[in-house]
Amino acid sequence: MAATHALPPAPPVQRPRVLVVGSAFASAAAVMVFVALIGIYLSQRADALLAGETWLPRGLDIPLQQPTTMLFTLLLSCVTMQWAVSAISHDDRINSYIALGTTLLFGVSTVVMTTYLWSLMGADVSANSQSVLIYTITGGHILMLVVAMAFVALMAFRALAGGFSARQHDGVSAAAIFWYANVAVYFLIWISIYVTK
Amino acid sequence: MALTDTRPETGTADASVPTGEVGFPANLIGSGDHKVVGLVYVVLALLFGIAGWVVVALGGIHEIGDGEFLSDAAAANLFSAGRIGLVLLVAVPFMLGLATYIVPLQVGANTIAFPRAAAAALWTWLLSAGLFVVAHSLDGGLGGGRPEAVDMTLLAIAGMVLAIVIGTICVITTAVALRTPGLSLDRVPFFTWASMVAGSIWLLTLPVLVANLALVYVDHRYGAPSEFGIEGGQLAQVSWLVGQPQIYAVMIPGLGIIADVVSTLCGVRQANRGVVLTLIGAFAALSVGAWAQPYFYPEAQDQALYAGMAGAILLVTLLFVGGLAATVKAGKPSAKSPLGLAAVSALLLLLATVCGLLYVITSLELRDTGVYAAGLMALVVAAALTAASAGVMYWAPKMTGRTPSDAYGKLNVLVLLVGGALAGLPLVVLGFATKFDSLADAADALQGVAVAGDIVLAFGLLLTLVALVSTTRGASVGADAWGTGQTLEWACPSPPPPGNFGELAVVRSPEPLLDAAEPAEEA
Repeated sequence: MAATHALPPAPPVQRPRVLVVGSAFASAAAVMVFVALIGIYLSQRADALLAGETWLPRGLDIPLQQPTTMLFTLLLSCVTMQWAVSAISHDDRINSYIALGTTLLFGVSTVVMTTYLWSLMGADVSANSQSVLIYTITGGHILMLVVAMAFVALMAFRALAGGFSARQHDGVSAAAIFWYANVAVYFLIWISIYVTK
Repeated sequence: MALTDTRPETGTADASVPTGEVGFPANLIGSGDHKVVGLVYVVLALLFGIAGWVVVALGGIHEIGDGEFLSDAAAANLFSAGRIGLVLLVAVPFMLGLATYIVPLQVGANTIAFPRAAAAALWTWLLSAGLFVVAHSLDGGLGGGRPEAVDMTLLAIAGMVLAIVIGTICVITTAVALRTPGLSLDRVPFFTWASMVAGSIWLLTLPVLVANLALVYVDHRYGAPSEFGIEGGQLAQVSWLVGQPQIYAVMIPGLGIIADVVSTLCGVRQANRGVVLTLIGAFAALSVGAWAQPYFYPEAQDQALYAGMAGAILLVTLLFVGGLAATVKAGKPSAKSPLGLAAVSALLLLLATVCGLLYVITSLELRDTGVYAAGLMALVVAAALTAASAGVMYWAPKMTGRTPSDAYGKLNVLVLLVGGALAGLPLVVLGFATKFDSLADAADALQGVAVAGDIVLAFGLLLTLVALVSTTRGASVGADAWGTGQTLEWACPSPPPPGNFGELAVVRSPEPLLDAAEPAEEA
């Protein structure tokens, strides 16, 4: 019969949180792309209004219903993302998988809704500079969302493979930071393009 | 749950991992070792730098006389390639390469953060740089006549920026998260500090360039094109990258190199260290230029903020140089080439900041032609490349385990001083031609001198490369190649083995090697 020994408590793990720090820097860089794009958009819009012109040309119609639905979808995805972080930090794997999967589902929904919105807007990219700005900004956001979804999916697979635990779950936290940055970017877009028009 | 936890960054440093199973070039291309990645950056940036200054010289020759040396299209492509290339193919990758190699050693880390991402960034940058060169050779420079090639150029620039951003994230994450115990942020070596603040500025500003490129690309590729993609507006939208104040951002790591070289080769601790760190940070903050985009905000250059930043950066540079001069006075300067190169770099930067202050004075009308701005850019880039060359000469013994020929370095002090001054100052003088008619008459002569300066700078970078190669025949050195090393990279064997360090003592000051030496001297 094997003897049992009372092991001393494990020393605290030195966690440099490299992935979290790197993800924060990457998120800052991604946000700066959109800050610049939205800055140019608002500046061009202000110039047009100052010159007494209307900003959005005839034929370019931007509804508010779909963008607002997308905003709430993404806000909900922040809740599920934080749920995933919380669950993995408590070693609750089942809830982690459900939360990460739901987050991805919200992401897919947003991509679908954006493409639907583009079809509703019915504007050609080549029509004018307003269309170029709007499609570049919203298209860029979708690209960032897809990257964020890939990041979350990768971390979900690593979680499935047992790569994270209550003591080491930096991967999920890092993905969450990038996801929140993505939602923050969408909020800026919602205000400056969809609401302000 | 795993019973043992291993720091993830030590994974690649495990001595038990078999090495040498693959030969060249697979071990080069597949390496995630920050030392290999950093060295490849440095060598490639030097090669691109030699080619880059030759390209700028060819463009300058075209400006002499009737402008018949090249076709208009070729001249426009050379202009675009020279301006963008000197920043994204030469100066920034040169600094990034040094940072990739040295920063992990200076903070006592076993490797760089995200080593595979750092390697991927290097090869992405190289691929994009190749695409950039090919596209320009196909009349695809910004504003070029071949639309497909122009699109290729836009993608290539975006690829280079993406790679630089990823490489930068690896470096600053290393400095933030992988420092050895006791090495608080206020104790990090100057070059690490400068790389951190430079990286932060690059992360905040280079994505703005991506935003500009995205608008140009979408409009040019899919649009009519309208305001963003038209031929005449493409280069103008990204010109802020090479204009004041953004161009100073390429020099930020250079300040760290200069400060490290001066304190080590003078053999004393840098006095008022916190002030010097603050000055480097202030210089970085004053080099943020992404907001001053004349294409979208023509009035930006007339604002008091724009003028104030030019004055403040001159003041900061003067204080920085003054602080280092005090260190030189207090210490025993060693007559080695890195110190001479650092001095030349500081001198060129001072010249550039003085010229930058004149540039913002509206009544001088120096912004009416692009020639003054080109001269200013040449001075700043020459200062940055001279600082990077000082870094190569300073850290070459660490990189190779052997000393480089100091004769090449000393010759390079003269070459880079003459080259930098000749490449920039004649164009700066020519900028006053709107005020003085006699200068317009001497335009050809001044352009000719600037061309000579460009060629001399290309020769200077060749000398730096030759000096690096000369280490193969140099004498072997120990861990502290200069004998007066202060920071942790000099505690590591030369060249650093896989994993860099064994066990490190807890750091208790910014100069841990001096701390270790002083009790022995007292005893």
